Amino acid sequence: MTQTKKSPTNIQNWITPLFLIISSLLVVTGIKLYAPYNPYVERVIVVLGINIILVVALNLSNGYTGVFSLGHVGFMAIGAYVSSILSLAIETKATNLPDLPAWLAHVQLGFIPSLLIAGFLAAIIAFLIGIPLMRLSGHYVSVATLGFLVIVHIVLINWTQFTRGARTFSGVIQYTNIWWVYFWIVLTIYLVWRIVHSPYGRALIAVREDSIAAQSMGINILRSRLLAFVISAFLTAIGGGLMAHYLTSFSPATFYFTATFNYIIMLVVGGLGSISGSILGTTLVTFLSEILRNAELGMQIGHLKIPAVYGLSQIILSISFVLIVILRRKGLMGDREIDFTWLKRVFPNSPQT
Amino acid sequence: MKMKLFSLILLFALLAGCAAPTQAPSATEAPAATEAPAATEAPAVTEAPAATEAPAASTEPIKIGGTYNLTGAMASLDVPASKGSKLAVKEINAAGGVLGRQIDYILYDGKTDSATNGNIATQLVTSDKVVAIVGNTDSDSALAIGPIAQKAGIPYLTAGATSPKLPDQVGDFMFLAPFGDNVQAAAGAEFMWNKLSCKTSWLFWDKGAEYTTLLAKYWRERYEELGGKIVLEDTYTQGDTDFSAQITRLKAQNPMPDCLYVASLQASDAGAIAKQLRDAGITLPMVGGDGYDGPELVGVGGSGAENVYFTTHALISADKGTDKMKAFIKAYNAEYGNDPESAFAALGYDAIYLMADAIKRAGSTDPKAIRDALAATSGFEGVTGTVTYQPGIRVPQKSVTIIAIVNGQYTLGAEVTPEKVPAP
Repeated sequence: MTQTKKSPTNIQNWITPLFLIISSLLVVTGIKLYAPYNPYVERVIVVLGINIILVVALNLSNGYTGVFSLGHVGFMAIGAYVSSILSLAIETKATNLPDLPAWLAHVQLGFIPSLLIAGFLAAIIAFLIGIPLMRLSGHYVSVATLGFLVIVHIVLINWTQFTRGARTFSGVIQYTNIWWVYFWIVLTIYLVWRIVHSPYGRALIAVREDSIAAQSMGINILRSRLLAFVISAFLTAIGGGLMAHYLTSFSPATFYFTATFNYIIMLVVGGLGSISGSILGTTLVTFLSEILRNAELGMQIGHLKIPAVYGLSQIILSISFVLIVILRRKGLMGDREIDFTWLKRVFPNSPQT
Repeated sequence: MKMKLFSLILLFALLAGCAAPTQAPSATEAPAATEAPAATEAPAVTEAPAATEAPAASTEPIKIGGTYNLTGAMASLDVPASKGSKLAVKEINAAGGVLGRQIDYILYDGKTDSATNGNIATQLVTSDKVVAIVGNTDSDSALAIGPIAQKAGIPYLTAGATSPKLPDQVGDFMFLAPFGDNVQAAAGAEFMWNKLSCKTSWLFWDKGAEYTTLLAKYWRERYEELGGKIVLEDTYTQGDTDFSAQITRLKAQNPMPDCLYVASLQASDAGAIAKQLRDAGITLPMVGGDGYDGPELVGVGGSGAENVYFTTHALISADKGTDKMKAFIKAYNAEYGNDPESAFAALGYDAIYLMADAIKRAGSTDPKAIRDALAATSGFEGVTGTVTYQPGIRVPQKSVTIIAIVNGQYTLGAEVTPEKVPAP
């Protein structure tokens, strides 16, 4: 854990994020070209893109600051509900949410304002709960953030006037498409990369590695953690809003423990503290679950007929995760990034430093 | 290097996993539909196929999509329903199929997850190109799948989701095979008022689910309309196991209500509530909806399940049921080696026959023609009752079965059609 980061050269400072962004987009575009008229594949890809945004955002808090939050899905829920309430068509509001106060019932915002308001609201909430919570560390902060998730869930279920309670929130306009997801992927990866590789990011990593030493160097632990938590919450809420405007119907159960564990798995499989890892882990988990889900239907191999076994995909996925955690304790990428230092060896004369 | 090695191991593990299913035991495993049929008789469908049917241009199987949550929280309802659906497909195929073509029922697992349900619906309408979708027993999933089917113009018949609002929320390609919750809530309220003479009642509901929220709302509406009085209302949330706080509040009532109406999503919840009520010395009649319909009601409730009544789709009983029910139970037993787990098995079975009937009457596999034929269904006799869709209403009018628990056995309490039903 105490591996010190090589300070990246200027060129590397740009190549890796660029590579990550381009490769994320290529995964998306490549498959879109491969199956241009396949809405199913496109759907899987859009969800993958949203998951990348969510996991990279989660990594900023859980990976880089060492504040292992289990409550991020709560911010996702806030993002989903707030943006959907704002963007819902006025006629849909009248039937689905008849008890909304008048100032909200007659308002229909566009996609981007709804998303941004939801994001800022989540950031404000993250700030308020972060002030006490970011003083904690280790398991305590996990439990406390889990408490936050439970609170959000209970509020969603009980605040029927705004959320329809436990009933499905439906009728959301499907604004999210592959291009919006592109946009937010680029923004998220760029933002998180810049934060992590700034002096502020170094301070975060220092706090994660040894908070007492960091404090003695004059780093304000609370402030550095809080800022990461707030930015992470903002991006997570945006991800939640994108998801809501893609699924078009969801309920409080969509944003609860199952979702939390899914994102934690993607994060841990990829590697805490690595943006490349987050992208790799998310892609792997999303694709594997889809491929395995289709394999569940059974198949005919020569004369051997394999019957359909539902639920198999979860079992295989879980075994794979156990293997990953045993064989690569720190996830596929650990806390390293895909790096291009080998370019230096191949092209020794290229301009550097 | 290490990473490459690891990736290889992982890949190998996955391949090994893919090849392994033959060993993995599973309750949902089903023999191929093309195998020799068990000795079962297929229930007759309402109308004879049109004699003027054009010679089948194609002998390709007719693809019908199946969407059930075979794993996750909804599995206890969806697995029996999916088994019922698969049995119906097998019977229809053994009897020669529909329009001279076999039915290919492509069943996917929605995993009780909105995103996965959206994926499988998209996959069915775009990759598999199904002509209709039959499945699901909850409105969360129905609302994830419905809009996608609606947009693609594919009729979607939900086997067991009972929210009467669904068709209006989704659109004109969405149909319900069971009655709506307003119907069963009204039936429950009328049964309590007329048969159990309950002038006052306790209302206790799970606010963690759409189904129980609606059920409680419709029940309250009808019961108060009849003149009943709710003396105390309390709620719990899905996943709660201890109801002592609410039961203590109930016990403090003076006078006690005559009856208890408890809206639970799962049979295990209802069983636990009944047991804790009886343990606290409250033996009043407890009434609820079709969420009670599962072996866990008596399994968890034990002797506490006595004096419990619930509204459901049909009485699954080999000796007390209708002839159709007896034939269904026999066929189910021959196929799976056990009696149907709940009325949802019968609903899944009926939904397939209902759709097959519509395809037969449509005389083609054009989704629009199937939708129109389905909407015109009148007097279709299934295991769970007779289905008729009134013009423009895609929730069927069906009679409600009220089951009473006597000595741990389900017995037919009444077969009722409510006099008045709250608006959806």
